[in-house]
Formats: sequence, structure tokens, C-alpha cells
Amino acid sequence: MHRLLEFIKRIYVVLLFLLLECIAIWQYATSSPYTEAKILSRTTAVGGYISKKITNVDHFFSLSGENELLNRRIAELEQTLERERELLADYAEASWQRKMAEEEDLHYRYYPARVASMTISHQRNYIVLDKGERDGIKKNMGVITPDKNLVGYIIYSSDRYSVAMPVLNTEFTMGASLSMTNYTCSLRWSGSSPYHVDIVDVSTYAQPEVGMAVEAWSERLPKGVIVGHIESFEHNAAQTAYSARLKLAADMSALDNVLIVENTHYGEIESLMDNLEGQSTPNGATK
Amino acid sequence: MYKYTPHIWLCLVVMFVQIFLLDNIDLGASISIWVRPMIFPLIVLLLPVEWRSIWVLLVTYVVALLMDLLLGGSGIYVITLLPIALFRSALLFLTTRRSMDSTDQSQLLARMPLGQLMVYVATSLLLYHTLFFVMETLSLANFFSLLMTIILSTLCSLLISWPIVRLFTSKVY
Repeated sequence: MHRLLEFIKRIYVVLLFLLLECIAIWQYATSSPYTEAKILSRTTAVGGYISKKITNVDHFFSLSGENELLNRRIAELEQTLERERELLADYAEASWQRKMAEEEDLHYRYYPARVASMTISHQRNYIVLDKGERDGIKKNMGVITPDKNLVGYIIYSSDRYSVAMPVLNTEFTMGASLSMTNYTCSLRWSGSSPYHVDIVDVSTYAQPEVGMAVEAWSERLPKGVIVGHIESFEHNAAQTAYSARLKLAADMSALDNVLIVENTHYGEIESLMDNLEGQSTPNGATK
Repeated sequence: MYKYTPHIWLCLVVMFVQIFLLDNIDLGASISIWVRPMIFPLIVLLLPVEWRSIWVLLVTYVVALLMDLLLGGSGIYVITLLPIALFRSALLFLTTRRSMDSTDQSQLLARMPLGQLMVYVATSLLLYHTLFFVMETLSLANFFSLLMTIILSTLCSLLISWPIVRLFTSKVY
């Protein structure tokens, strides 16, 4: 209080000046319609400008929260979309009401997550996500960006965190298919560029084109997840298949918000495959 | 009080000249648009330098209020003259390059070289005329005509003011 009084004592001349100026400006502003309109428009413009700047700063600090909300909303919408798709597909066999009641029967569930840490400069890169087992995250769930581009899949989960193997890992394997066709191939990363991956064993009947989209083809992920677009392609040495270089659809160097995708039927498929392997059948390789 | 009698006389004479002479002189419409001399800021500029800022501000307020009442300014003279009072010390400091806190200030205006005194008065008048005409038009739409009015009016005010300033500083200080 003492300091405040000292401060006021030091600047009282300026304060008095401001007070007298304000009174005079008010008197001048109300003296004629012209000055009233002019000064009012100026003060409104200045006030609006300051208010806009303050709003911008507020908005900047609330962006993180808004981003999280949007991501959660995307997950909800994806889930709703998936439910709608399944309802449409099964409409002939089951009634809408029964399907709506069987929430747990959803084929794919989406969980929003954020990247806690990641590397892209090594041969074996990993992504740590801020969601773990207590959020329902399990091994073998797919990881995609909010705009449905492939990132990788979960290989390990703890209570609060999970680790995903991204496509930028030389041990990463997954099936892929040329978009709008049924031709499948294998996806791998050579370890050279963090913006490119390769597909191999593309059938010679397929007609790859530069710019053609390539989708992930895996039980971990729903249809329509884009891996990337063909940048160049060539026949292999034996002229029996194509191999192609893709530009990754997801920018792995700027990854922040992601969606973790759970195929609720994955356990069933896995146990089926395990049974097949138990019977020593040679066709047990998973995609 | 006796000490400040010349200042009171200066105030009365300058206000008289401003109100009854300069504001009523008919130079014709084509000249009056460009030239509107105002010399009453001299009252503030020639106040004793050793005065505390609060007294300068209050005296200026009274003078400006009187001008508003007598010339129907509706506050414009207060708005434009108070900044001159507030920045008078800074203008003097910039002109003379010496601190206003020094003890020997009473004769400052009289001891100032003519060039410095001229710069001090001219800068202050220019500042005053700029504030006045900008506040009066409240628009920069006709910027060049506004600029011309400011420059010509300042020059005219300076021409009229300069003999008064010389007379006052030589006789009073």
C-alpha cells in the first residue's frame, strides 16, 4: 500500500493530465454530432483492435485444449462412422435396434492419443504414446493419423503408456494393396528416407501408376487407411513382380495427435491362426 | 505575486490579441483556410521555468478553459494545450541540452541563445498547431491540405510571436 502511494505520488502529474484530458475529450466528443461520430468510431476501432489482440492471445493458449477436444471428437465420429457402415452392411440380416444395442460388437474402436516421444533417425524407430492399458490399449492395435494415414501398430503397452512400431522401422512388416484394386503386396522400409517406404511383390497384372494411393491391408486396421502414394516403380530383376517407392502420406516428422484403432475381432483371428499353426499348416502367416 | 505580474500581463495581452485581433481578422476565405495563427501557447511556453509541473499544468488548464469558454472551443483548447504544458520541460531540455533540475533556472529563457529560443518556440508552436488541426478535423483524408495548414499557420504564429517573446525575455528576465 505504501509503495502504491509512493508510486502515485511520483506520477500524480501525469495522472492529473490524463484525467483533465479525458474530461476535455469527453466534452469535445459530445459537443457536436460530427465529433461524436468521429471519436466514437476511432475509439471503437481502437477498442476492437485491442479486444481482437487479447482474444487472439486467449485463443492461442486454448489451442492445445481445443486440439485435444477435436481429436476426441474425431475418434467419436470415426467410431460412429464405423458403426453406421456396419449397420448399413448388415442391414439385410439384422435390425437397426439390435445392432445399436450391441455396442460391444463394434468391429473397430478408436482411441485418441498423443505422441509422448519418438525417433525417426534410427533404423529401428519407436513411438511412445500417452495412452496405456488403463485406457484400453493393447498390443497389435493399429495406429493412424486423424486423417486416416498409416503410422504403425502397438507392440507393447504399460499401465499409462504404449509403444508403437512405426512404418519407419526396418522390422516393420504389413500387407498393402493398391487402392481401388485387389492387388496386394508387402510393405517395408529400407531405412534410408523417413519420408519414403517401399512396396514389393506387386503382381505384374496390376497396373501401378505414379500418384496412385496404396492402402494398408491388415487385420489391425480398417479399410481405407492410406500408406502413401506411388512415386516411382519398376520391375524386379526376374520380371515377375513390381516394386515401388511410396511417398508416405503421414508426415512422421511432425506427428502429434494420433488415433489408436482396435479390431475387436483381432483376438479371434489370432487364435484361429494359432490353431492353424498348431496343426502345422504352412499357410499360417499373418498379414 | 509582484514577481509574476509580467506573466499576468503577458497572459492578458496575448489572450486579448488572440481573441479580438487574430480570431476576427478577415484575410479572405481563400487565405483563412490555410492560415490560422494561434499565439496563446506562448503563455505556457513563457511561464517561469522553475515552476513545478503541477502548477504549470493547472495554470495551463485554466488558460485553456478560458480560451474554450471565450472562443467556443468545447474542450479542444484544453485537449491541445495540456500536452504542451506536460512536455514543456522535455522540449526545453532537448533544446538547451541541460537538465531542468538545476538550481539556476530562473534566468534560463533570458540566457538562452536566440537560436535555441527560436527552436524551442517554433517546435512548441508546431506541436500545438499539429495537435489542434488534427483534433479539429479528426481525419487524415485531406492529409496534404492539413499539412499545409499546419505549416503555414505555425509560420504565421511564429512571426507574430517572436517580437513578443524577445520583448518579454529581455525586459522581464
